[in-house]
Amino acid sequence: MESFYAAKIDAFAKGKISRRALLETLTAAVTTTAAVATPASAAAPDPALKIALVNHISYNCPDFRKAADWYSKVFNLDQIGASKIDVALPFGKRGEKPFGVTANDVPLTSIIIRTRDLNAPAQGGTEPRRKSRALVEHMGYTVADFDREKAKVELKALGVENVRDGGLYSLHMTDAFGYDVQISGIANNALTDGA
Amino acid sequence: MEKFIDNLIRQFESGALGRREFCQMLGIATAVYAAGGAEANAAPASRGFKGLGVNHVSYVCADYTKARDFYSTMFGMQVVNDKGKGRANLAFGPAPDKGGNFLVVHNPGANPPKPSEAVIDHVAYTVSNWDEGKVRGALKARGFDAPTGRNGSLHVYDPYDYDIQICNAVEENAFRREGR
Repeated sequence: MESFYAAKIDAFAKGKISRRALLETLTAAVTTTAAVATPASAAAPDPALKIALVNHISYNCPDFRKAADWYSKVFNLDQIGASKIDVALPFGKRGEKPFGVTANDVPLTSIIIRTRDLNAPAQGGTEPRRKSRALVEHMGYTVADFDREKAKVELKALGVENVRDGGLYSLHMTDAFGYDVQISGIANNALTDGA
Repeated sequence: MEKFIDNLIRQFESGALGRREFCQMLGIATAVYAAGGAEANAAPASRGFKGLGVNHVSYVCADYTKARDFYSTMFGMQVVNDKGKGRANLAFGPAPDKGGNFLVVHNPGANPPKPSEAVIDHVAYTVSNWDEGKVRGALKARGFDAPTGRNGSLHVYDPYDYDIQICNAVEENAFRREGR
């Protein structure tokens, strides 16, 4: 299909078809091709341990309420089940499925925002949590209707700091605790990122 | 869709988008439209953005190939865009252009990230069709004899001692916390 698109854009560039004709032809091609497209085949799975989706990100910071308010404000997320040390922010409402998921046993992804002692044992353990030699240096989140220039304006209006371009398809910023956050639409994905 | 393509043509005309990128973007748009993504993306947010979920987790370590091999063979993540230049994408979940997540494993860059007061202390992954015996058996077969946690929610460490949680939808679901 991409060769068809290439032929049309070449014809437009050479003045053989008008801009309006190009727009109408491509719109019709995308929507009608999509109507008969078949799903991509799944990657070879590990039968017992195959990952379906991120369940949650465990984000630890000095003041979980402040961070939760930042993420609620920027991503329109509800805060669920606040305790003295943490709160969960799911990407959606009760009963909704994660974006792109059809299975019934894959819950919405959440950010669990915490203020806790990282030297304490991990859940159910007795030994202190190990000191990791790896780092999750930033998190990328997908948002609806991403338009980079409009997003910059919106982020500025929200008071978000250190907003900067992240290539054609995304923006980076820092959250309430200086953590690097990236936002994009689904055009930024495993196939396009780093391609 | 017409508005989206109109914007693409505008970018092509201004030189912001090359011919190859233009065609790739249309290919992605076709796939997204087929998946019903247009409707999902159209949901409005009055202020801020409508967050759809995680796009990717950016994970830095001394040798990305070690992490790449661990996550791909252990959890069935698909290796994408590995050009042997210090990074790879590991895709999982729905197709990449239909809401799938990915883990970017990479070597340290020339510009290390600025220090932050926050840290992602672990990432939890949902395993669909969870079978407690099979999950524990598969972990044991890979040398993880004693994962911590509880049934339906287990913790192990990766080769860089990064805490990984694998879980099912019953034990790890934000809405379980309601009313607690």
